[in-house]
Amino acid sequence: MAGPPRQLTGRGAAGAALALLPLLFLGVAFFWPLWDVLRLGLQVDGRWTGERLLAALSDPYVRRLILFTVEQAALSALLSLGLGFPLGWFLTRYRFPGRGLLRAFTIVPFVLPSITVALGFVLFFGRSGHLNRLLMGLFGLGEPPIRVLYTLWAVVLAHAFYNAPVVARFVNSAWERADPTLVEAARALGAGRFRAFATVTLPLLLPTVLSALALVFVLCTLSFSIPLALGGARYATVEVGVYLYARGVVASFPRAAALALLTLGLSLALTYLHLWGGGTFSARQGGVRTAPTVPLLSRERPGRALWLLYLIPAAIVFLGPIGAVVADSFLHPAPGGAAPTLHWYRMIASPAWNPFIESSPLAAVRTSLLVGGGATGLALVLGLSVSAVLRRVRSRILETILMAPLAVSSVVVGLALLLAFRRSPLSALGGEWAIVLAHTLIVYPFVVRAIRPLWDALDPALPEAARTLGASPFAAFRTVTLPLLGSGVLAAGAFAFALSLGEMTAVAMLSGPGVMTMPMAIYHFLGSRDFGAASAMATVLMATTALAAWAWDRAGSRWLSRTGAPAGFRRLPDSAEPVERVASGFMPNHTAVRRLRKVVADRLRRYGEPIHSTTDPVPASAADKHRRTHG
Amino acid sequence: MVEVRGLTKRFGPVVAVEDLSLAVAEGEILALLGPSGCGKTTVLRIVAGLERPDAGRVLLAGRDATEWPPEKREVGLVFQSYALFPHLTVGANVAYGLRFRRGDRKRRVRELLDLVGLAGYERRKPHQLSAGQQQRVALARALAPEPRILLLDEPLSALDAALRKELRGELRALLKRIGMTALYVTHDQEEALALADRVAVMRDGRLEQVAPPAELYQRPRTPFAASFLGRANLWPGRVVSVDGDRAIVEVAGERIPAERGEALEGDEVLLFFRPEWVEVGEGPLAAEIESADYLGDRWELRARFRGRSLVVLTQEERRPAGSLRFSIRLARAVQHD
Repeated sequence: MAGPPRQLTGRGAAGAALALLPLLFLGVAFFWPLWDVLRLGLQVDGRWTGERLLAALSDPYVRRLILFTVEQAALSALLSLGLGFPLGWFLTRYRFPGRGLLRAFTIVPFVLPSITVALGFVLFFGRSGHLNRLLMGLFGLGEPPIRVLYTLWAVVLAHAFYNAPVVARFVNSAWERADPTLVEAARALGAGRFRAFATVTLPLLLPTVLSALALVFVLCTLSFSIPLALGGARYATVEVGVYLYARGVVASFPRAAALALLTLGLSLALTYLHLWGGGTFSARQGGVRTAPTVPLLSRERPGRALWLLYLIPAAIVFLGPIGAVVADSFLHPAPGGAAPTLHWYRMIASPAWNPFIESSPLAAVRTSLLVGGGATGLALVLGLSVSAVLRRVRSRILETILMAPLAVSSVVVGLALLLAFRRSPLSALGGEWAIVLAHTLIVYPFVVRAIRPLWDALDPALPEAARTLGASPFAAFRTVTLPLLGSGVLAAGAFAFALSLGEMTAVAMLSGPGVMTMPMAIYHFLGSRDFGAASAMATVLMATTALAAWAWDRAGSRWLSRTGAPAGFRRLPDSAEPVERVASGFMPNHTAVRRLRKVVADRLRRYGEPIHSTTDPVPASAADKHRRTHG
Repeated sequence: MVEVRGLTKRFGPVVAVEDLSLAVAEGEILALLGPSGCGKTTVLRIVAGLERPDAGRVLLAGRDATEWPPEKREVGLVFQSYALFPHLTVGANVAYGLRFRRGDRKRRVRELLDLVGLAGYERRKPHQLSAGQQQRVALARALAPEPRILLLDEPLSALDAALRKELRGELRALLKRIGMTALYVTHDQEEALALADRVAVMRDGRLEQVAPPAELYQRPRTPFAASFLGRANLWPGRVVSVDGDRAIVEVAGERIPAERGEALEGDEVLLFFRPEWVEVGEGPLAAEIESADYLGDRWELRARFRGRSLVVLTQEERRPAGSLRFSIRLARAVQHD
């Protein structure tokens, strides 16, 4: 029955107590540390001033950092589009063996730890990498023909590797939603194949393309491990700059804080930009049916074989680096050719102290798993309680506060916690705890974004029924709500775990002697040219992450595979599409943004697509869009 | 006994319930009847503790329970959608309310499934049951912890018409057999009349009239109650004379005897009579037939009497034209709103 919003008896005190838990946690682990960064960046001798910011901005090195950041992000976004758009098209249009597998592969980069990608690039595209060796062998060259490492292009290429599949996934899912009737109508009106594509399909896809571009731009601006490992201090981004100032040889916390404020401003501006460019568009209601696929290989259209011209180089770029990592982990380089070995795996399973990583490899593996487990547990508790609070108290201010870590880049979170762990109360905790807290802060917004749509779709009569049968609010949650949210919570947990395992930015800021995780160990092995050990550890890391990501995708797609709403849910929860769920994590919710979105929506109306009202106080992610059309 | 006093509940600018007082006696089935959106479900949710009233009190067994959380109230609630826990078996659903209590749970679950005619269904999942069976499980689950009152929110509305009729008889028999006090929310007047000991008619958040079914049907106090509980003829007229319980109402120049109700001499009233209270064929009054609908066991005639519309029921076949002589066997003066 339609009617007023259903709500359990509004016991203000209980709601406030519920909100207190996450607020307390965020206060101690996030806002207070962030305040320290602010003070360090904006205060000189207890006086508020912009001196440090101005000094930083007038430093030519810092200026180069900023310029480089924007330059590489823009180039990376364009290259990702160039590489990803054809792939999206390919996945939508053609039917061929392995299509499902290829589609599944597009999710991989999102969870593949970036340091493993950087390692793969070094191994594959490096001076004495696989590609150069292959080319030299094939053409009898005396010099390695490819020299991209430690240039702008290495960073851009690695970013494209990372993000092209994301673009492909966006394009693919938008294209599948586009109504083929429109193209048929254009053809019937006399438009040729190309004209129909240019005047109908492309405008329909444009919003998604913009959205994907904006997302990739944001991700590349905030990218850390890849520029750090492939660009060095010379080709560093602002994020890397914060790290270099905080942890480098000439450590200067005030300068690091000033840079952190710059990147904070940058990431805030970018999130808005992304919303402006993308948030509104990505998941609009599609047409009634999806376009049929055509077989890729057919005798009548041999021209389709031309796709190989794209697919083969693409396969080399995408599979080469990962393949190089896996291959090198099993090979022992020798003068007369490499020999298979398990030596590297024995090495990383060793509890012996390694001077390069200032810890033992085995301890790094253990720390990674423990930190991942701890952060996942905390993020689930925090994510569930934040979801519960935001369901109860529909306040934009509270939502902004509770989701604030979303707008802060990992390096800033790292710096804030680095400062916070130097004083009480946090200094009482061990160094691993700094990483656990950092990962919790980085990951829990995604948990909230994953769980809330599910929770909102759950029939409210179910927990109410439990209450009238004698269950306390918590008992009702534990025995009814939680089991029904089950697979969603599981998916969120698996994703959180994968994210924590691969996270290196905060770790770089917070690691130290004895406190080492797998990605950071890989980085140090890479720095000491210890490629075998790096590869072995990267292979283990990739396998673990892939497993977690697989679990995440499985649990998440349980929602997709059903035709109707699952038992207990009033409707199909939206945005089960994992990529979009991730992407939606980058979109905060502010009045100004909503106003912008309206402007964009108005402008888009001429494409004749329905744009749903955005007056709903609930967050405005692409994903939430469908939900608005239901009651 | 369950009682509410002066309940008021607003949702933003919408007043869902306004100053409503009602008592359900021990062992009584009280139907809360009204059109959708009249606030009847809100009353139920307030009694269950799922909604907090803006004003007024809820009394359970004489104690003020307004501030009690739902789990402390010992009320059973059967939802319109049944709200069976999809992840639990039938048995576990019925046992859910028992897990917070002592006693032999297994036996109690069996007892209740026996009671609702679903013995042996313990291990099924809710989605494996038909709608009617789900409804029975919901009932068994609500009854299992022996609530002091059973609240039913349109429990039969999701079923098809034939099953609904069958189940409402069973439901009444079952509630009477175990002597359960019940508050039954429905918008179906036939259901309310057939099932309840007393019916409370609600309109726009307020009570119109509370009375046993027969009294409500024959002696509605308001035009709304009259027309909501079945077909009604309501003709504006004036009370020209009063004699004890009887009155003469003048309608369009005709003087028609009626029950007086609360009318006084000279009052402008509505002359109320049911279609089946009209004697067709002979009589002092004449109307022009406008249409005749065949209903199977009888005919429903729509006619016009001096500008007023008239609905009558008759056994004889009539053509949808011509004139009709009739007399009003029974009528009642009803005050305007």
